[in-house]
Amino acid sequence: MKKNVKTVLGIMVVFLSVVAFLPMPGGVAMAADTIEIGMTSALTGPYNEYGEGNRRAVELAVEKWNRAGGIDGKKIEIALLLDDQLVPDRAVQNMRKILDNKEIVGIIGPAGSGPTLAVINMAAADGRPYMNPIAQTPAVTYPNGTDKPPRANVFSFALQNNVEAVILGKYVAKRFKKVGLIHESTAYGVTGVDLIRKELKTIAKIDPVAVESYNQKDQDMTAQVLRLQKAGAEVVVCVGLGADLAVLRRNMGRLNYNVPLVASNGALSLPYREGAKDLVLGTRGSMIGVFGQEKMNPAAEEFAKAYKAKYGVDRWWGDDPSRPQIFMALSVTNGYDAANILFEGIRRAKSTDPKKIIKGIESIRNYQGVNALYSFSSQRHHAIEPDDLAMFEYVKTPTGIKLSIAKD
Amino acid sequence: MEFAIQLVFSGISVGSVYALIAMGMVLTFWTTRVINFGHGSLLMVGALLTVVLGAGRLGFYKAALIALVITAVLMVLAERAAVRPLVKLAGSMGWIVSTLGLGIFLQGFAAKFFGSQAVAFPSLLFTNDDAIPFLGIRLSAQYLSVLGLSLLIMVAMELFLRRAAWGRAVRAVAHDPDLSSIMGIPGRRVVVLSFAASGLLAGVAGIMTAQISGTVDPAFGFNLMVLGFVAGVIGGMGSSIGALTGGIFLGVLEKLVGGYVSTAAQHGIAFAVLMVVLAVRPQGLFGKEEITKV
Repeated sequence: MKKNVKTVLGIMVVFLSVVAFLPMPGGVAMAADTIEIGMTSALTGPYNEYGEGNRRAVELAVEKWNRAGGIDGKKIEIALLLDDQLVPDRAVQNMRKILDNKEIVGIIGPAGSGPTLAVINMAAADGRPYMNPIAQTPAVTYPNGTDKPPRANVFSFALQNNVEAVILGKYVAKRFKKVGLIHESTAYGVTGVDLIRKELKTIAKIDPVAVESYNQKDQDMTAQVLRLQKAGAEVVVCVGLGADLAVLRRNMGRLNYNVPLVASNGALSLPYREGAKDLVLGTRGSMIGVFGQEKMNPAAEEFAKAYKAKYGVDRWWGDDPSRPQIFMALSVTNGYDAANILFEGIRRAKSTDPKKIIKGIESIRNYQGVNALYSFSSQRHHAIEPDDLAMFEYVKTPTGIKLSIAKD
Repeated sequence: MEFAIQLVFSGISVGSVYALIAMGMVLTFWTTRVINFGHGSLLMVGALLTVVLGAGRLGFYKAALIALVITAVLMVLAERAAVRPLVKLAGSMGWIVSTLGLGIFLQGFAAKFFGSQAVAFPSLLFTNDDAIPFLGIRLSAQYLSVLGLSLLIMVAMELFLRRAAWGRAVRAVAHDPDLSSIMGIPGRRVVVLSFAASGLLAGVAGIMTAQISGTVDPAFGFNLMVLGFVAGVIGGMGSSIGALTGGIFLGVLEKLVGGYVSTAAQHGIAFAVLMVVLAVRPQGLFGKEEITKV
């Protein structure tokens, strides 16, 4: 028995020694002539439309810069590309791996407020430039409030909840008195609805008649809809993701509760359209407006051409071969702009020193990105403003139901 | 008043979904004392296969039939690979892990080959808007069909157990597998058929439920399975009447709590009730207390 135990222990020691010297997954041999970045996102799992979309975007940005010679002659490389499936614990493990790699110069953060809030303190403590492509909670970038200075190394390309709340609040306050709010129970939903409440109060002194919540993946929201109906809400404003919004809309249809539904950007996603089908008609949602404009800006045109050449007309592109779907601004091009700004910051810094890169990013003024014209400063680390947004509505056309900028 | 009636109907409707799931889990519990924690993934397989196969020339109805056959076969394979080797060991609870592992494997398989995103599920029997007016409220036809099906299945299961020869064989195997084998009852066949029937019910539950939510994705079914399990425990694992009663009781309670207390509270009430039932009457409302001679 003792001999067996020794044999097993010996094998374990040998195995662990071999594994310790194996290269880390996703890693490559370090070279002095490359600029390395790290990324963690929901590459697989039910939310991979964000993570996989961002991965494609970042790779397209890397290819674009490398074709032009890289940065100061150095090629850019995604040294660590890790999958967190939008699970906060996994995002933390992945971020630890990224931060432990001292060759990495800049970081593209996870999709979703949950994983981002889980990793942001460790990323902020580390100090290397961190690009937040998607997480909408403002606390990611402005931990003490949007009127206070941002985290030194965090730059956000997300449609921040406070920015979205302005446009949603303005739109709803102008048209309705009795407002019902409903939100998912995550950080995104809770902060989003709090900000909309503040906005309604500030603009028109409106208190919502009801505020309800649901868990992600709930199959039935009858109780929530009945409570909104009982409270007499003239409009339902929802902060949540597309698939859950579809369940809400179907419940409203089943109960014949036909008040307008105004939603955050999840309303414009493919899962909402797939789930709600014809019931989407009349739904309004806020979104970065770039792909809803009649004429796209030059950076958007260039991106669309590059994406279509590499990936074709796919789920992220949408149904219309002639132009990307509106939601691509949130699932793909936010990541593209985040990577481009990072590389531009490194170029301006002429160095891989984190503080110099941050100064380089903060010196950017009127940089034409896909989603917006970007300007940063030491006090402003977020990219998207209300002027970059539009309210979209599902309307009936001769060729079917389409999204267009709301006429009102 | 309409508010309360609508909540109760909604609760009965949602509860009938839980009941349908619980009845599928009861079938395997009857014959092997095993609860299949991969049941939720079988719901997903039934619904997903219907969409995938139906998108071609087959049409959705034929696709649904094929999907049901596949879920039944999957459960037969699961019994062979994930359950039988583990129930051989007296007192082993390894089937909890193996059936859960089966569920995770099916989710991963679906994600790999069909993608992780939700896909639209067609309305097969009724549309979202189809409803019957009743006492000032609207009774959704989709939910009524699930309720009707649950009642039908419960009646069929009870009649089967009490009147059919194979039903008596199932009761004998459930009571004492060794003695029933000595008496000439083909115990192995009874077990395999019960797993196949459970798989079939899971497929049916998946297809009926996906119509209501409108989409299906690889993670579909897991949350419902948990609530179906809770419904089964409340009603009494091993009783089809218990599964139906437990499901409807749970559904109505959830909706009443959600309507009158808080929609945030409705999610936790199922587990609060579970804890009370396990403490006060662990065999459930209609289950029989088990006494083991030592």
